[in-house]
Amino acid sequence: MDNTDGRNLRSSESWNHAGRPFITTSVLFSFLLGVPFLWKSVEIYRSPLPFHDIDSLSDQIESTPLRFPCNFHAVFVGFRSTDPDNLRSQIQDGINQLTHQNSQCGSCNFSLSVTVQNRDDQCSETLAHSSTTCSYRCGVIKRNVFGVGVDDTVDESLNDVFSGCSEESGKMYSVVVVNKENANGEDEVKAVVGKGRHAWIVGNGLEERYGDMVARVSEIFVKVFMNGGREEDSIQGEFMPVGSDGRIVLSFSLLNSNPRDWVYDWDFQRIDEALLAPVTKALAPIANISVESQVLYHTPKSSFSSWDKKLQSYIFRTSALPFFVNSNEWHLDTSAGASGRSKILQFVVYIPSGKECPLLLQLPNGEISKTNGFISPIWGGVIVWNPGNCDKDSESSSRNTISPQDLEQIVEIFLGQFRQLFGFKSEAFYTSGLGTYKILPSDRGFTEWELDVLSTKHTCFNLHSCSTTLGSLSRLVRSLPRMIIKDEIGEQVKYSLKAAKLAQSNASLGEYSSSASSSREARSLAENAFFHPSIMSVSYFSYEHCFAVYSPFFLPVAGHVVLAALREWKRYKQEKAKYLTWLTRKKTA
Amino acid sequence: MLADDMACNARNEYPAQVFNNENHKLNLYGDNVEVDYRGYEVTVENFLRVLTGRHENAVPRSKRLLSDEGSHILLYMTGHGGDEFLKFQDAEELQSHDLADAVKQMKEKRRFKELMIMVDTCQAATLFNQLQSPGVLAIGSSLKGENSYSHHLDSDIGVSVVDRFTYYTLAFFERLNIYDNASLNSLFRSYDPRLLMSTAYYRTDLYQPHLVEVPVTNFFGSVMETIHTNSAYKAFSSKISNSKSNPEMPLNQLSEHDANIPNDELKNEKQKCPYSQMRADLHKKLEKLENVDTVVNLSIAVMVVVVMVSSSLLR
Repeated sequence: MDNTDGRNLRSSESWNHAGRPFITTSVLFSFLLGVPFLWKSVEIYRSPLPFHDIDSLSDQIESTPLRFPCNFHAVFVGFRSTDPDNLRSQIQDGINQLTHQNSQCGSCNFSLSVTVQNRDDQCSETLAHSSTTCSYRCGVIKRNVFGVGVDDTVDESLNDVFSGCSEESGKMYSVVVVNKENANGEDEVKAVVGKGRHAWIVGNGLEERYGDMVARVSEIFVKVFMNGGREEDSIQGEFMPVGSDGRIVLSFSLLNSNPRDWVYDWDFQRIDEALLAPVTKALAPIANISVESQVLYHTPKSSFSSWDKKLQSYIFRTSALPFFVNSNEWHLDTSAGASGRSKILQFVVYIPSGKECPLLLQLPNGEISKTNGFISPIWGGVIVWNPGNCDKDSESSSRNTISPQDLEQIVEIFLGQFRQLFGFKSEAFYTSGLGTYKILPSDRGFTEWELDVLSTKHTCFNLHSCSTTLGSLSRLVRSLPRMIIKDEIGEQVKYSLKAAKLAQSNASLGEYSSSASSSREARSLAENAFFHPSIMSVSYFSYEHCFAVYSPFFLPVAGHVVLAALREWKRYKQEKAKYLTWLTRKKTA
Repeated sequence: MLADDMACNARNEYPAQVFNNENHKLNLYGDNVEVDYRGYEVTVENFLRVLTGRHENAVPRSKRLLSDEGSHILLYMTGHGGDEFLKFQDAEELQSHDLADAVKQMKEKRRFKELMIMVDTCQAATLFNQLQSPGVLAIGSSLKGENSYSHHLDSDIGVSVVDRFTYYTLAFFERLNIYDNASLNSLFRSYDPRLLMSTAYYRTDLYQPHLVEVPVTNFFGSVMETIHTNSAYKAFSSKISNSKSNPEMPLNQLSEHDANIPNDELKNEKQKCPYSQMRADLHKKLEKLENVDTVVNLSIAVMVVVVMVSSSLLR
C-alpha cells in the first residue's frame, strides 16, 4: 500500500514535510537567484537613442519641404499710366509660371509689392499682405542717375536706397525698371544685377514694351534671385564641396614642372590676407574655410601636347583634360591641418617646362581658352600659367617670383573656379531667352543674393543629409541588438536633432545665414555619430553566439537541478496524498 | 593592402621588384606604387573600416578612403578563397555577407557612385553573392566549385608570379594606349575560359549602364571629370580701373581700398603680431651684417668670459 512506485518510502507517520523538498528547492532557488547576476554581467551598454524623434525628423523633412520667406519689390520709374495692381498680378503670374508652382526645398515663399513712380515723382503702390516697415520713399530714385554713370556708382546709390530693409522676415529683393525718354531714342535695354539684393533695367520707350518688361522682371526674381543663375544639379551634392565636418580646406599648390628650366615662387601671404580673406569671411555661415599653400618641384604632367605653328605655342585639347592631373607625381594631398572628414579643394597653378612653353588650352570649337584653366567637381581646379617669355637661356635657374599683377589675374581665375565648384558660373552675366543680364562682380567672390542662394541650398542639403544619416544610424543600431552604443553617440544624436530643429525654425523666420550654420552643425554631429569607430558589426556577436558561449557552463547542471526539483515536487505530492489518506484513516479509525 | 610584402621580402632575389612574368619585362612595383596597409595591418576589421569609413580620429588621410557621391571605386581582391569567403592572413576570413553589409552601408552614406569589384580567388563568384546595393559591378575569376590557377612559375625567383585572371587583365591593359576608348564589355569578353582554366563570371544586375557604353577609364586609370573655366571673375579689375592712376602695385592699392570699406575688422587684422614683427626686424638686421662669423666668435668669447667671472665671484 505504501510502495506506490516501488521505492522504499518511509512510513507515513514519520514523514517529514520539509527535508528533501526543502533541500531541492533551496538548490533550485539559489540557482534562480544567480540568474539576474548572470544577466547583468552579459548585458551590454546601449545608450538610448531617440528613435522616435529621428523618424519624425525624417518624415517631416520628406513631407514638408523647407521654404524660406522672401519679399519681392518692383519699382517702375518714369511710367505714366500703369496700374500697380495690374502689374502686380501680371508679375505674380509670371513668377508662378516660371517656378511651375513647385515647392521644392529652399524655394521662396514670396510676397510681392509693386510701386509705380511717374515722371513727376509721384507714387502709387500696392503693398503685399504683410506690411513691411521699410517702404519705399517716393522720389528717392532719380531717372538721371541711370544710364550715364558707371554701373558701380548706380549700384552704390541703389544700395543706399534699399539697404535698410534686410532685417524683416526674409530678405527684400528689388528690381527697378527705369523708363527714360531720350531724344536720340536708343533702342537698347540694359539689365544689370547689382552686388546687393537689387537689379535694374534701363531703357527707352519701355512703356510700350510693358509685357516684355514684366516678363524680364519675373525672370530676374525667379532665375536670378531665387536660383542664383545656376541650373539644377545633376547629381545631388555634386556642387556641394563642404566636408561632412563643415570645413573646407583650400590647398593652393604652385607646381614647377621642370625646375631646371625655371623656378617660380609666389607671395602667397599677401594674396591670402588681401584677396582671399574677404571670400572666406563671406562664406563663414556655410563652411569653415582654411587656406594653405605649398610650392612643388619636378611635377611633370602625364598628358601630351602638340606644337601649333600658327599660334606658335603648344596646344592641349579638352580631350586631354581628364588625364592632366598626374596623381602619381603630384603630391598634392599633404595637408597636415585637415582632419579625416574635411573636404580639401586643390587649386593647382601649373608652370610648364621649357619643352612645352607656352602651353595653351584649345576648346572644341577651335578657340583658345581665355583662362587656361579647368575644374573637376568636388576636387578643385587647375590653371596653367605660362611664364612671361619662354626663352630658356635668358633665365638661369634662379628663383623668380610671380609678379603681383599676374598673381591677381590668377586669383581672379581662381575665384571663377571657386564659384564653379559651388555651382555658379564663372562669368559675370546671365543669358536667357529674353536677353542678357550683366552681373556685377563682388570682391568677396559672391554677391549678397548669391550668398543667400548658397545658404538656402546648403541648408536644404545639410538637413536632408542629417536626416538620412540619422535614419541609417537608427536602422543599423536596431539591426544589431548586441552592439555597444556609447554615451558619446547618444549625445551627438541628441545635439544633432536639436540643431536640426533650430535650423528649421530659423529658416521659417527668414534667417538665412544662421539656418545655414545650424544645419551645418546638425549634419556634422550626425556624421560624427554615424562614423564613430566603435560601430563595427564585425566586433559584436549575436544572441546565438552568446547563448553558445554560456550554455555549456550552465545548461547541464541547470538541467539536472530542474529535473530533480520536478521529481521532488511529484514525490512531495504523492507523499502528501499518502499522508492525508493515512490521517483520515487514523481519524476514522 | 598587401599582407605579404613580396617586394621587400628577405627571400626576394630582386629586392623592391615584383614582375608579372618570368621575362621580368614589367615591374609591377613601379616608381609610384603606394601601399597604405601592409603586413599585420591587413585584417578584415581594417578592410571593413576602410570601406565604411569608420576610423579612429587619429588615422591619417592617406589611410582613408576619401570618396564621395560622385566617385568610382575599383576594389580588387586576390588570394585564397572559397565558397562565400576570402582568406586574410591565414587566420581570418572575410565573409560574403560582411562584404555585402559594408557595401550597403557605403551606399547609404553615398560613398560611391559606381563600384567595381574584381576577385581573383578560387570560387570567386560566390564572394559577391549577397550583394544587393545598386551601382555595383562585380566580376570573379571562377564559379562555385571551380579553382583559379596561377599562370606560370618563375624558376628564378621560385614562386608563381601571377594568377591567370590577373595576367590576362594586365595583358588587356598593356595593349591599350591613353586615348583608346575601350569599353568594359571588351575587357570582360577578352577572358577566354580555356586560357583561364576557369569561367570568369560577372554580375551586372545591380549595375545600370550598359557595359558596351562604359569606358574602362571609369574605373582604371584615375581619370577625372573636368569642366572648362570660361572666364575669370573680374572682382578686382573693376576696382583698379575706377581708381586714379597709381604706379604702385595693385595689391597695395587693394589694401588701401579695403581699408576704406567700413569694415573695421579688416583694419585690425592688418596689425601684425608684434613678436613676429620684432623677429622680422632682427632677421633683416642680421642679414645686413657682412661678417656673421666674427660676431658669433666674439659672442662666444664674451660668454666664456662672463661665465668665468661669475663663477669666480660666486666662490
